[in-house]
Amino acid sequence: MGSERYSFSLTTFSPSGKLVQIEYALAAVAAGAPSIGIRASNGVVLATENKYKSILYEEHTIQKVEMITKHIGMVYSGMGPDYRLLVKRARKMAQQYQLVYGEPIPTAQLVQRVAMVMQEYTQSGGVRPFGVSLLIAGWDGDKPSLFQCDPSGAYFAWKATAMGKNFVTGKTFLEKRYSETLELDDAVHTAILTLKENFEGQMTSDNIEVGVCDDQGFRVLDPTTVKDYLANIP
Amino acid sequence: MAMPRSYGGLSDYRTVPAPSFSPYSENGGSVVAVAGDDFAIIASDTRLSTGFQIYTRNQSKLFKLSDKTILGSTGCWCDVLSLTRLVQTRIKMYQYDHNKVMSTPAVAQMLSVLLYYKRFFPYYVANILAGIDDNGKGVVYSYDPIGHHESSKFRAGGTAGALLQPLLDNQLGMLNQENVQDKTYTLEKAHAIVKDVFISAAERDIFTGDRISINIITKDGIREDSFELRKD
Amino acid sequence: MSILAYNGSAVIAMKGKDCVAIASDLRFGIQGQTVSTNFEKIFEMGPHLYIGLPGLTTDTFTVLNKLKFRANMFELKEDRKIAPDVFLSMVSNLLYERRFGPFFVEPIIAGLKPKTFEPFIASMDLLGCPNKPEDFVVAGTASEQLYGMCEALWEPDLSPEDLFETISQALVNACDRDALSGWGASVYIIEKDKVTHRRIKTRMD
Repeated sequence: MGSERYSFSLTTFSPSGKLVQIEYALAAVAAGAPSIGIRASNGVVLATENKYKSILYEEHTIQKVEMITKHIGMVYSGMGPDYRLLVKRARKMAQQYQLVYGEPIPTAQLVQRVAMVMQEYTQSGGVRPFGVSLLIAGWDGDKPSLFQCDPSGAYFAWKATAMGKNFVTGKTFLEKRYSETLELDDAVHTAILTLKENFEGQMTSDNIEVGVCDDQGFRVLDPTTVKDYLANIP
Repeated sequence: MAMPRSYGGLSDYRTVPAPSFSPYSENGGSVVAVAGDDFAIIASDTRLSTGFQIYTRNQSKLFKLSDKTILGSTGCWCDVLSLTRLVQTRIKMYQYDHNKVMSTPAVAQMLSVLLYYKRFFPYYVANILAGIDDNGKGVVYSYDPIGHHESSKFRAGGTAGALLQPLLDNQLGMLNQENVQDKTYTLEKAHAIVKDVFISAAERDIFTGDRISINIITKDGIREDSFELRKD
Repeated sequence: MSILAYNGSAVIAMKGKDCVAIASDLRFGIQGQTVSTNFEKIFEMGPHLYIGLPGLTTDTFTVLNKLKFRANMFELKEDRKIAPDVFLSMVSNLLYERRFGPFFVEPIIAGLKPKTFEPFIASMDLLGCPNKPEDFVVAGTASEQLYGMCEALWEPDLSPEDLFETISQALVNACDRDALSGWGASVYIIEKDKVTHRRIKTRMD
């Protein structure tokens, strides 16, 4: 059949063994807005830039830091529409797990399953890889965890990491600032500082988003709380 | 090719299938009887019900047939009433004919005959007959709806029969118990166990509950007792 | 007669103090004819986790195999042993997937929860409706008899020794009044640091 010719995966190996489509996807991520994640001793923080291209935008209508279940949250660098599809899938997988096993999905399980979806989009016909990297923060009973999930389907557990624009300087900054004994409050502070390192223009509670995850579960901090954190920043 | 079914025509909607007649109902209730060397105890709950509805919480299913014999009867309550009236009548006729009170074993045999008489349209009842025989010894007979019967030391019947019987086997018959020499029991022990097994049955059988009415038959006559069960 | 009573069976589980017990009869029959008197209906599904599968024997095996498959997949995927309450959800789910053409089994689960070693028992109907009471669960053709026995014999906080005696008496006396179950019994007492399996002799008729 003629249509079969066009149903091959676009993600095809180059002669040198690279999958260039995935590298392009990673480039899309590296061009996206920066996101920071830090795992503290008593929780995890996710932070990201949420800048508007025009003053005419209505603020706080589009969320980048999203809750997946009570105890898991997510943020991204890269393409917004791709991210929203993954959020939808992640939420659905989390609820499916709850339905079958009667308990909340472990963060590692969710990450594994989301990664599997992302991998599928590197090998299926008629699709392209996701143009996003995810940061997934979770709390499982007594311990926090932070994962990064890439377009290839590769995933990593981090103590702290940065993605998106200027991620290299972000990571270097975190390497200097990170300590094992860090507490959640300080971690939020550090995350905002890391964002600020490469921030263009004035940073306000309207152009960054912060989410935290601890024994109380995951929550996105409201702008007034973010404002309080910003007040402590030189 | 299949023919289309006929539409219209008065006969199509006039032939409403008649609801089939069902002559029996299940009104629930349980009976326990225990025979001792010189006594017999028979007890029934006092709940009369149909499905999830309770007709009354105060209807004993025990029927005094003589000073030595009591019949416990559960199942379809209208059949219980018909049967016990028939039994009582036949006992009176026996007394007039023979000029003596009918003995418990004789009642037992007669009950079997009366049940079998309706072999092909049976009384829907579970019967347990308790009393003392001519020697003053406790006897218990149990029946199926068509008159098969058996004499035993103790028996549970009715809706909670399956729940009660293994308990009696274990607690009165000392079945599956090791190093038991004395398998006899006193009236007091039997009395206490009868109460206990009913408490258990009332927990799980919705057709058994409210109260139990207990009759204790000895050579000195019949003593009545009552004991409250859960009412939900 | 219901297809659930085709082979005959009796399974029971009870909570004790820091221990649980699960027991079953050993008969396998086809209606009135006894085929085997050495037929286990209780299966180990993990450390401190047992399941009894009374009902139609062919479905006992099908369900057991499907459960082993799912439990193994769970353990491989999650790199941890399955806990009793999670396992209950899994069984319930498996059965409800066949809501309109059910497996004719009425599972009973007994175990200790990981870490806390809290006693856990649960039962289910053939569609997977779970039931988690504080005292005991019963299933099989002798369930009415078992209810009667348990309601009288069970008490809270039984020691492992007393729990063994109670569950054995309940099972054996109940089976003796059920034509389709009996012919020996198998009892598991599950404690924090050991599981004791005993075969009990019963009347064989």
